[in-house]
Amino acid sequence: MTAREIQDRLAELREAGAKLRRRPARETHAALARVLDLWSNPDSSWRRRLESELPGATGFTRENVREGLARGLARFRGETFLSLVRAELGDPARLDAARGSMLSGFDTTAVVLAGAIPQPSLLALLAPLALRSPVLAKPASRDPVTAALVAESIADVDPELGRCIAIARFGSNDEACLRALLTADCVAATGSDASIAALSALVAPPRRLVASGHRLSLAALGPEALRGPALDAAAGGIALDVALWDQQGCLSPLAVYAVGADGEAPDRLAEALAQALASLERLLPRGAQDPAAAVEFRHECDGAELRATEIPGVQLLGGPTQRWAVVREVDAAPRRAPLNRFVRVQPVENPELLLDSLRPLAAHLAGVALAGFGSVQDGVARGLADLGASRLCQPGELQAPPLAWHHEGRPVLLPFARFTDRETPL
Amino acid sequence: MTPGADPARSELDARVLAWMREPEWRDDAARFEALALELFAFQWERCLPYRRFCERRGVRPATLTRWQEIPAVPTGAFKELELRSFPAQRSAHVFRTSGTSTSVRGALHLDTLELYEASLLPSFARHLLPELAAGERAPILVLAPSPAEVTDSSLSHMFGVLLRELGTPESGCFLRGGELKPDELLAATLRAAASSGPLVLCGTAFAFVFLLDELARRGLSLVLPPGARIMETGGFKGRSRELGREALYAEIETRLGVPAARIVNQYGMTELGSQFYDSVLRLPGEPRRKLGPPWTRVKLIDPATGDPVSGHEAGQIVVIDLANTGSVLALQTADLGRRVAGGFDVLGREPGAEARGCSIAADELLSQAGA
Repeated sequence: MTAREIQDRLAELREAGAKLRRRPARETHAALARVLDLWSNPDSSWRRRLESELPGATGFTRENVREGLARGLARFRGETFLSLVRAELGDPARLDAARGSMLSGFDTTAVVLAGAIPQPSLLALLAPLALRSPVLAKPASRDPVTAALVAESIADVDPELGRCIAIARFGSNDEACLRALLTADCVAATGSDASIAALSALVAPPRRLVASGHRLSLAALGPEALRGPALDAAAGGIALDVALWDQQGCLSPLAVYAVGADGEAPDRLAEALAQALASLERLLPRGAQDPAAAVEFRHECDGAELRATEIPGVQLLGGPTQRWAVVREVDAAPRRAPLNRFVRVQPVENPELLLDSLRPLAAHLAGVALAGFGSVQDGVARGLADLGASRLCQPGELQAPPLAWHHEGRPVLLPFARFTDRETPL
Repeated sequence: MTPGADPARSELDARVLAWMREPEWRDDAARFEALALELFAFQWERCLPYRRFCERRGVRPATLTRWQEIPAVPTGAFKELELRSFPAQRSAHVFRTSGTSTSVRGALHLDTLELYEASLLPSFARHLLPELAAGERAPILVLAPSPAEVTDSSLSHMFGVLLRELGTPESGCFLRGGELKPDELLAATLRAAASSGPLVLCGTAFAFVFLLDELARRGLSLVLPPGARIMETGGFKGRSRELGREALYAEIETRLGVPAARIVNQYGMTELGSQFYDSVLRLPGEPRRKLGPPWTRVKLIDPATGDPVSGHEAGQIVVIDLANTGSVLALQTADLGRRVAGGFDVLGREPGAEARGCSIAADELLSQAGA
């Protein structure tokens, strides 16, 4: 696509948006709810197409994509979407009204997608549409499939709404196209912190930038989750959180903290995690690793193997040949994370020290899987919230966020809204 | 032999030094094999962490028959372990890897700099100043801090040795206190134009970006004298805007007047005693690739299996460097490479290249956090 074509497409979208806004907002929300029902239904043709096309495009295995979508879209239902609309926007009539606190969307929204996991892309495309802001989306280079399928599904459900979403394909180094795309009235962008910083310089007010930078997730297990059947359940859940999407998402845990347990608990946890990851490798095999990622994986595994010979307590389970790795560490210091099913087990004496250990990561914390803290669990949760975690859940549920999850700690739809407060005479 | 020195080590050092000091490089496979196996046996005895690592893999000197079988230590291990083949009390120098003020930096402990210096000089001269006769000097302008300012940087130390052994009086370092000194550099360049020997401008990739940005800000070009050449090394690591190598070289040609054919990338690292250089100046017209001295070997392995890759397949770079007598001779890097015409190329991730997931920056975040 050329820069000129992008500008033309934005102009067409503005016109389509103007037509859409002549309809009651409820109709648009109902159509979007139907779209989500299609995507959350494993038997819908759209889901089947995505399950079929995504593995080839992204390198994830078919099994992983199927399970990832089943869990990730389970809570993306139409009814939930309508509840979200009511919770965040109030009465949808505010989008049509001419009095009181009125709501509008932007004339156009550019959505710059990143990564290869479909659920965040789906939501990023639908959120501006809930405000009746037409969307021009640049698909992620690692996932050329999802955005186009979502756009097709919307057009299938509601052709007029379908004219309010278009796809802009251009190379990541095509600056002219990027600048043309960023002339949209609102820009929603996902990407590395460096990419977001670069985009921020190009999107000046009054245009709005809704940015999502890099985030990471972790797990923290208290003493009650570090023994007996609870340990197996927690380890199984965390292993699933690690294995789904091959640890590529911001909700993939990179490390598990064993908090306040006996000295052998980290060993038990590492062993249980290793067993669970080995089982999952049979059920949900890891996908293709790009060569640079494979190099990182081996480098960290071999480094752990060497440290294990010198530092009592350090242990490497698995490795490059097994296609997963668990490293039992002896401290809570943050360490490199090569992803692709590489997880560290790190001991920490008590919840206060856990929070201290996480403080350097606070600005980038997304989700924490939490279990086994008994009566102090609320305190730990509060501490993690104060640090900046935007999601706390049970092990095994990290990859199934609710539709209304406050990603980046902010609402889902409201960032795309413009308010006009019409006052009555005093 | 210095008092208290390990006789076995001194004997190995002497043999490696003799090779480094020969006027002509000879790629002697049998000599390399013999020295590599003997050095491995020595380090297996003297460096306990390395010995345990090898034993875990079932490798002992008696079981080894080829240098290719020597277990390689990941460079990242230097962050947490002291990998030296001499007693701690003989440690005389520590070179540290680059990093932020809060991050853990790798440390290479050395009891002598003799091999390091003996290795770097002929490599640099051969690839950057191939036309220089023995005893001749050239102006060497460095975009990096001096070794006096940054005592634990192997790169600064290398530049210091080059200035001392090969540089003319106008040579010097033009990055001080974290700041580039463009006016001083300009003055030195003008003086160098009148000097004998081709000018060499050396520095890290990010220092070149600083220079290019400064010249752009002033609306200037600094056209270097004919025959000038550039040596750049290292990455950007968030210290400047990132540029792909081709884009960097294009900007260098525009602002400094040095074409890509005279820009030599150096591949080296703190943990290595020897360096590898692009072939372009030494072998003009041939494919650009990295070449090393005969006392090194590069092996490319499949990161999934650890087995050597075949042909021109990409693989993880493993370096065997006989200059590393005091630490460990076999190092596994975190870099990906490919064989090219008897040398190799380092395959980097292009700036802006998109990773599969949003978690990919975790390394960067963890590095900032002190990992």
